[in-house]
Amino acid sequence: MSDLDKAIAQLRACRPIPEAQVRELCHKARELLIEEGNVVTVAAPVTICGDIHGQFHDLMELFRVGGDPPDTNYLFMGDFVDRGFYSLESFLLLLCLKVRYPDRMTLIRGNHESRQITTVYGFYDECVRKYGSANVWRYCCDVFDYLALGAIVLGASNTLSPPNEHISSEDYANADIEIEVCNADGDIMSRFQRRSDGERSPNGASASAGEKTGPPGSGASGSSGGSTGNPTGAVLCVHGGLSPLIDTVDKIRLLDRKQEVPHEGAMCDLLWSDPDEIDGWGLSPRGAGFLFGADIVKVFNHRNDLSLIARAHQLVMEGFKEMFDASIVTVWSAPNYCYRCGNVAAVLELSEGGGGESIMARSNGDVGRSDGGMRGVMMESEGAIKNGPARRYRVFQAAPQDSRGMPAKKPVADYFL
Amino acid sequence: MATSQATTGRFPTLEILDPSTSHTFIKPAKRINEGPDVNAFLKSKAYRDIGIFVMQLNRAMCPRKVKDESGKEKTETFQIGSQYETQPVESVRKIQGLLAKLDSIIDEAPPDPGPRRFGNVSCRKWHQMVEERIPALLREHIPESVLKFGTTSGSPTSAEEELASYLLGSFGSAQRLDYGTGHELSFLAFIGCLWKLGAFGDGKADGDIERSIVLGIFEPYLRVVRRLILTYTLEPAGSHGVWGLDDHSFQPYIYGSAQLTRPITDEEPMPLEGSVLRAPKPGQIVKAEIVDQERKRNMYFSAVGFINDVKTGPFWEHSPMLFDISGVRDGWGKINKGMIKMFNAEVLSKFPVVQHFTFGSLFSWDQDPDALEPQQSVHMANQPSVPISGNMQAPGGAVGMAAPWAQATSMPPPGPGVPYSRIPPNGRPTSRPGPPETQPGSTGLPTTRAPWSK
Repeated sequence: MSDLDKAIAQLRACRPIPEAQVRELCHKARELLIEEGNVVTVAAPVTICGDIHGQFHDLMELFRVGGDPPDTNYLFMGDFVDRGFYSLESFLLLLCLKVRYPDRMTLIRGNHESRQITTVYGFYDECVRKYGSANVWRYCCDVFDYLALGAIVLGASNTLSPPNEHISSEDYANADIEIEVCNADGDIMSRFQRRSDGERSPNGASASAGEKTGPPGSGASGSSGGSTGNPTGAVLCVHGGLSPLIDTVDKIRLLDRKQEVPHEGAMCDLLWSDPDEIDGWGLSPRGAGFLFGADIVKVFNHRNDLSLIARAHQLVMEGFKEMFDASIVTVWSAPNYCYRCGNVAAVLELSEGGGGESIMARSNGDVGRSDGGMRGVMMESEGAIKNGPARRYRVFQAAPQDSRGMPAKKPVADYFL
Repeated sequence: MATSQATTGRFPTLEILDPSTSHTFIKPAKRINEGPDVNAFLKSKAYRDIGIFVMQLNRAMCPRKVKDESGKEKTETFQIGSQYETQPVESVRKIQGLLAKLDSIIDEAPPDPGPRRFGNVSCRKWHQMVEERIPALLREHIPESVLKFGTTSGSPTSAEEELASYLLGSFGSAQRLDYGTGHELSFLAFIGCLWKLGAFGDGKADGDIERSIVLGIFEPYLRVVRRLILTYTLEPAGSHGVWGLDDHSFQPYIYGSAQLTRPITDEEPMPLEGSVLRAPKPGQIVKAEIVDQERKRNMYFSAVGFINDVKTGPFWEHSPMLFDISGVRDGWGKINKGMIKMFNAEVLSKFPVVQHFTFGSLFSWDQDPDALEPQQSVHMANQPSVPISGNMQAPGGAVGMAAPWAQATSMPPPGPGVPYSRIPPNGRPTSRPGPPETQPGSTGLPTTRAPWSK
């Protein structure tokens, strides 16, 4: 068993690893992340996750529900730390998994992956409490600066693969499901059929909705290019949302991301903005980032040949919330947030499409978008919005808490000495 | 010219203004617009008065050594539900009536059953109704002599305006659908204004009236706030999560720990350690059944009980600070002293909390000539100095958290911050990190030395 595997095992048991090991881990992680572009390209299938906020036991529940890494390919959209009791264990475990299985684990940056925010919202204090010094906090913050700002998921299918082993691919492929919601045990709770032409999006009037192309080997017929799959538009994943300074995904690629999250500007907006029921852009009550309306999302998706934006950043009671004719979705993965919100959590699964997309090489994010065999994802598209990917949300509740033992009381704050 | 500080024996009390002299009222306005303004606040008369008033209320809650008819010494304790709450003087009873009215308005604005992201929008309806009715409510529950205090004809602003401003700021933000220690501070200022205007003149001085204020007004106020939080699921936005003392409150931990300290005579200062006989042990706050008993009597346990109401999961995990404090061995006196220091550092000295405080004539932005120079330290290293321009208005609903550097719109964090690594008011600099090089928030701001913390 390698040291890394030992560290993973120890962290899975919710026990922090020694400071020296954290240092080494962060060093390795940085070497790995520095090679990634600002926008990482990820091939479907992938399971997309929202905020974690140090809810370690709920992260374990997420892995139980979504499948263990590396068997499941994961993409986490930031906010690993702050507020929860186990930010340290949660972030270090994800980082270990990233270093151990770099192609099966994608981590992008949230607004809490910042020195300033973590000194206010708990991660700093947690590190000092658990290690007696701020060193580990410093190592982690140095990693934060190298996390990618977004990801592009390519090759997501417009049909789903079966949600559990009890349903065969053949049976499943006949259903024309756009959205499926499953519970923590993989049972189907609700399904939504793909809607007819033109309904999905004002920009998508000519989208060939309704076409079915089964996953490879499923035997399902595909009416358009079935042999190479039926590519849906790409999915952009980002923690917060859009920025008035960013009209193409390529502009994200040009940012200098290796720094503390700035107080304003494009990088700040990507991590701080929220969609809202407004026209155009609005000031954010958060004091950072912007609010953006349906029109902004639709124009952005069309211009960038995206079928969906997946983002996190906002608590949603149902674990996920699709907005603006399913052009953007909020995914939230911290159940019963802060021990009191009573919300469920969700992860978003995108299935693998047929054909070439699924074998796309992982890269710095530059490869693939203008691949000769494929439609350049970032090219200005004269055509219509592509068909949206089929989406499975796995919804889960907070992990049971009875098994956690009470720790010794720590020395109290200086105020009480 | 009166000073703002009256002295009863050796313990300062908040000054009561002389009604025969005219007074110029000022419509309260926001003054703390960026990080360094906190420094000025810590030298202001408002800061001094808040400190005096909190200490005055705190000391009144401490159990007293008294002699019965036979001259035998016994201990008197002051509890929720006692005559201080149930049979208060008229002035306190009137404010209770005001709080009951505000509470009943919740029934008129039932939670909206429609889809929502988190906080319930009907809370805005409640705020709107309260705002509309506040002039009538104040006139009904507060004597005209107070509302029209010292007003000379032609004076543009009245005491009523100052009072209304603090009262309206006491129940959270309608825009953000949240509630925190900054709003709690606004309610303290509301009562402080009433005090200065002589509204509690019908009470018995030297402790009695203060106890009625804490048990008969402050605790009922907290009950209204808790009902608002539950009814409209006010978001723990801006919360420090598990790393704050409490998502919403601070002051009940001060007065509640005072209730359980070692008894004193009226001449003695607050004890710095020790507990009153038969006080629940600090460690018992982790026992839900004991909390359920004690919350009926004690404000500290009442606050912990509310945490138990709203949170699930192990107490040590969702409230590690209170858990650690429950391990203090030197009794409730020690905890009380720590809570006061922490209140000064984590509430009064924190930009995100005090930025919303407004200043008029009663809680004045004027600098206190006797203020000590706040100590230079790294305590507020992460407070901002660069304001984001404009007074942003959110067109949308509530959001999760605000950027701590956001000026006009960031919510007061419900939790008072994390003291583990922070230096207390008199503390020495520790290894707390400076702000990152790339952010302009470094102001090297001083922390304060609380004039009352020795």
